[in-house]
Formats: sequence, structure tokens, C-alpha cells
Amino acid sequence: MIFREVEDPDLIAKARRGNVEAYNLLVSRWEKRVFNYLLRLVSNREDAMDVSQEVFLKAYQSLPKLDDPARFSGWLFRIAHNEAFSLLRRRRPETSLIGESRPAEALLESGPRLLPMELSLAVETALGRLSADQREAVLLKVYQGFKFEEMAEILECPVSTVKSRLYTALDLLKTSLAPMHKETAR
Amino acid sequence: MSCVSPESRPDWKAYVLRELNPDAAREAEAHLAACSHCHEEVATWRLTLDTLSTLREEEIPRRIAFVSDKVFEPRWWQRAFIPTFASPTFAAAALVAAAILVHGAMRPGQAQVDAAVTKALSQVEARHTREMQVMFEQLDIREKQVRNFSLTSAALIR
Repeated sequence: MIFREVEDPDLIAKARRGNVEAYNLLVSRWEKRVFNYLLRLVSNREDAMDVSQEVFLKAYQSLPKLDDPARFSGWLFRIAHNEAFSLLRRRRPETSLIGESRPAEALLESGPRLLPMELSLAVETALGRLSADQREAVLLKVYQGFKFEEMAEILECPVSTVKSRLYTALDLLKTSLAPMHKETAR
Repeated sequence: MSCVSPESRPDWKAYVLRELNPDAAREAEAHLAACSHCHEEVATWRLTLDTLSTLREEEIPRRIAFVSDKVFEPRWWQRAFIPTFASPTFAAAALVAAAILVHGAMRPGQAQVDAAVTKALSQVEARHTREMQVMFEQLDIREKQVRNFSLTSAALIR
């Protein structure tokens, strides 16, 4: 925070008054997080990029509707969630590049000493085995650091549902990542 | 020590995800210090989260940017309704507007103004009349002095 001269709510206020540069700065702060969240959800770089662009455009158009600028992150991820699931519904049956990657599956089965990149690939594969709802719960909690209540707002569901999805996902991940634990502990 | 029943065990997933409130977290830590079974379970969850954290964050292929284009700018009526009450410019403008309104409300009517002007004019005219009278009186005195001086001078010459 020391290096942030202007906070997000200040940029939001300027963007609302038509300052496009302020909005660009806001985008530059959030684009990587949003892109990575979408990438893990839709499992395709080009789709994630297109949806990211769409998310920030919709966010700009909807800025006047944002009641509390302090809750911008949750609001932004809610837009991202809606856009991602809209895409996933359009392209059923779900196509997953992660799921198609057989060598990555093999990494999970065998447990040789893995390079960091291979370990990352193994995690990606384990995440790809989850349902979209379960994967999203892990992404929002583990990678984006949202609280249960914030996740419930983003996903528009009760906290109990959030916990149920997340706990089931963690149980599955614990099992599938068990061979990797030794690598992580090294 | 080991747990008597699963129901009595803290919610370890919530614990490692930092979702327990401070009181519940303290209780969980006290339990953890005395229970080897739960200690092992928490260690496994932490290892799972550590493994998940090895997922690489991808760089965005190209930057998302909006150009300063009319398309993205709010229309004039949108801008007019956007609250700007906190800005110093707005505050100054509001102050000036209020002063004009107060001044307008307190301004006397046209009849009062006319009466005041008439009164002032009559005062000026009265003053001028008094000054003219004094001036004529002084002229009369001077004329008499000059006449007396002439008569005296003529008598002396004779």
C-alpha cells in the first residue's frame, strides 16, 4: 500500500466521471488476477482473454451501479463469474484443454521428482478434474483469497453451498495431489 | 491424546483457510497442541494448500486497455447527474450561488429605491440652495464694499 498513491475507490470515482485513464489504471491492477481466474475456469487462453476484455468493458459500463467502491473486487469477480459460465453454457459439452493433456495426467499417477513447472502442471491437471463449480470455489478461495461471505455474493448462493463445494473439492485435491506432497515438502 | 468423536473436532479446513473467528481459532490451536491425530490432519491440509500454491500464475497475453474514445465517455446528461458534491470547485460554485440567492432575497423593492433616490436628490438640492444664498449674500456685501470704496475715493479726489 505504501507504493499506491491512489486507491481503487479514488480511481473508480474518476472513472465514473469519464476519466478513461483512471479506468485503465484500475484495469492494469486487476487484469492479471481476472485473466488467471478465467483461464482456470474456461481452460483456454484465447477464451480467457476474450472474456477478460468483455468483463472489463461490462464493468466500465456498470460502474455507476456499483454501490460500494470498497467492494469492487467482489463485484468485478461476480461479473467475471457470470461471463465465464455464460461461455461454458454456450460450449457444452465442456471442452477442457487441461483434461486432454495426457502427459499431465501421467504426472499425477507417477511420483518421480518433479520440476516446479511439472508440479504446476500436475496441480493444473488436478484442478481440471474437478467440476466447474468446485474448481471455481478453489480458485476464489485459495488463489484469490476471498472470504466465504464474499464468495457467496460472487456466486449468488448461500455460504453453506460455498463451503460444501470447496470442502468436496479439497477432499478430491488432497487425494489426487498426495503423490506430489513429498515434492512440495522438499 | 486423540479425538473422542469426529463431531468434537474443530473444522480443520476452515482453520487452515483462516475462516475461523479468533475464539474458535484459539480453541482449535489448544486442541491441536494436545491431539496428534488432528495435528497430522492439519499438516496434510497445509501440504495440500502448499502444493496448490505451486500453480504458476500466467502472464496475460496482451494488455487490456481502453482508449480515450467518445464511445467510452459518459454522455453529457450522465456526467451531469454524477455526484460531484465533494469537489472544491462544486463547493465554491455552490457558495457563490447561495450568496446571490441571499442577496436577491434581501434586496429592497423598486419603490423603496425610488423614494431613497428622491430623498437624496432633495437633500442635495437643498444644500445647493443654501450655498447659493450664502454666495449671493457675500456678493451683495462685496458690492456694497466696492460702492463705498468708490464713493470714498471720488470724495477724496474732489
